[in-house]
Amino acid sequence: MSFLTGVLLLAIVTALACSLPGVFVVLRRDSMLVDAISHAILPGIVVGFLITQDLRSPVLIVGAALAGLVVVLGSEYLTRSGLLTGDAPQGLIFPALFSLGVILVSMNFANVHLDVHAVLVGDLNLAAFDQLVLGGVAWGPTYLYVMLGVLILNAVYLTWQYRRLKVTTFDPEFAAILGARTGWINTGFMFLVSVTVTAAFNAAGAILVIALMIVPPATAYLLTNQLGQMIRLTLLITVVGAWGGFWAAYALNAATSAGMGVFYGLLFAAVLGWVRSREGLRRRGARAIG
Amino acid sequence: MTLLDFFTNHTFRMVFLGTTIIGLVAGGLGAFAYLRKQSLISDVISHAALPGTLIAFLAAVSLGLDGRNMVWLILGAVVIGVAAVLGANAITRVTTLKIDVAMAIALSVFFGAGMVLMRIISNGDYPGKGGIQDYLFGNASVITYADLITSLVIGGLALGLTALFWKEFAITTFDAEFAATSGFRPRIVDPLMFTTIVIATVIGVKAVGLVLMVAFVVTPPAAARQWTHSLPAMVTLSALIGAVGSAAGAYLSIHISVTTGTAVPTGPVIVLCLFAMFVISLLVAPGRSILARVIRRRRALRDLRAELLSEANSMVDPGALNDPADHESGSSVIWTDAPTTSAPATRPPITQPAVIEASATRPSTMHPYPPMTDTPETQTPGHRLNRGERL
Repeated sequence: MSFLTGVLLLAIVTALACSLPGVFVVLRRDSMLVDAISHAILPGIVVGFLITQDLRSPVLIVGAALAGLVVVLGSEYLTRSGLLTGDAPQGLIFPALFSLGVILVSMNFANVHLDVHAVLVGDLNLAAFDQLVLGGVAWGPTYLYVMLGVLILNAVYLTWQYRRLKVTTFDPEFAAILGARTGWINTGFMFLVSVTVTAAFNAAGAILVIALMIVPPATAYLLTNQLGQMIRLTLLITVVGAWGGFWAAYALNAATSAGMGVFYGLLFAAVLGWVRSREGLRRRGARAIG
Repeated sequence: MTLLDFFTNHTFRMVFLGTTIIGLVAGGLGAFAYLRKQSLISDVISHAALPGTLIAFLAAVSLGLDGRNMVWLILGAVVIGVAAVLGANAITRVTTLKIDVAMAIALSVFFGAGMVLMRIISNGDYPGKGGIQDYLFGNASVITYADLITSLVIGGLALGLTALFWKEFAITTFDAEFAATSGFRPRIVDPLMFTTIVIATVIGVKAVGLVLMVAFVVTPPAAARQWTHSLPAMVTLSALIGAVGSAAGAYLSIHISVTTGTAVPTGPVIVLCLFAMFVISLLVAPGRSILARVIRRRRALRDLRAELLSEANSMVDPGALNDPADHESGSSVIWTDAPTTSAPATRPPITQPAVIEASATRPSTMHPYPPMTDTPETQTPGHRLNRGERL
């Protein structure tokens, strides 16, 4: 497998692993929580790195994902306390955790290669640098298989929990009446999101993970109001967007994840424009008939 | 390091004063974002400020001006920041997507555009491009005297704007529909208010960095809210908390850096100071903090127990149960097998509900029902059990 093909595949697999749980994140109105998680995992990564000395170790990914869960549960607690309003609980915890991470880095890792900048921005090419060679044959970037594992994990978990997630997403009160343990279902799902964000930061950077997770499902949401259809459209949009974004970034000599983010944004704008114009046409047509 | 050493050093003084001004302005103006329940909009603004500052840099350089001048950077960040806010609001207006999705889209797409621009700038040949990466995390030690004056003027302008339109801002914050029907045009008031929030956010991007600016806008109001029930007091207190937290954080970070020899970045230390002030407020502020609630609940429970005990004692008189109201209201009267012979007049005086007693013993500063309401409390302090209701 050539290096370029490997990076392209890594981009597409990472994007798919993010957008699949993203469907439910968008529907559950937790989009900005992803932003909070993506920042809060920094201290988890630092501590994990201190223990494992390897940025791609699965132990590190799970440890950092637990730090992400701190934000989820902490902001939930603050909201339930009734002492705070609006979306402030989410904005309170993650900067503090992120600051803790930055201070840890500056105090402990002055001479170790862990750059806060790299954590935030990420570099797909750097993540793809380590190639898997088995039996003398290059099988593409090692990290491709890590992300493939996360993608499969997401797919299996969502299939297994599909009905429970569906009912807690659309009608949490009804789900509670049915006896579903909404709290546990929510925590489990957010942990999965946290794992995905942590795994993807290496390839995409912590902030642009939000683009990968939120924009394709949001685009699909404009086109359909059925869950199954929305998932299928999300996967399609993800592949098209990742492919297009990859080559756009390649042509512009820009960071791949940044290019993908911008390309997704353009795709969203184009779909929005198309839907709006179609609605306008229908309204005009109805007026002409009426 | 003595305080004299600290304040005679030019760089230290600039860092201290610069971050204090940032904290003051962001804290004061952040109060409105908090009360409008849109605190996270400042996170969108700060991330969108990245392409804003970079476009301003490119424009200034291509015109032959100094690309690092803070005036251009703030101008660019404000323009693009306002565009991001309006874009996010427009998405919720023309689609059925909710505000959280719209904010996430605006944040990530603008930030992605900023990263693309950053790559273009660092690949190109532009004078003064070094240090442009500082905007991600900020660098408080590069605050110059000119920057200080700029942030004073722009921050003062935003605070002055708020004072001038105080009535409009307040009424829009608490009841947007009433404001609109009273003739305050939301088309004018809203962008004005968002502009002040944008200024509050971008004023610190150079010194603190775009990632952490959200804490300067969210944390002080959340802390101030626990101490007060009125808008003027909250804005003032929030600004003060922002200023004090920033000053303390700046001093602490410089002190640690000088004494230990490892450079500790200023922004993160300030954020932790602000967070500590918030946690203290949440725990111990009188009236609505967690501690106050525990005390109130315990007091209400004690009063309730006393009431039930006195009532149970009076139950020895069987006539107490022959109250016709009981038969109407509750089928679950516990002592239904009691004889019903005596006249209702012998009924012992039932004491007032426990909740009123609890509030009577409370100091006057603690209002049981504060005029400004947040998320409604699910449990009223000191829930009163009705007679016959099972414990």
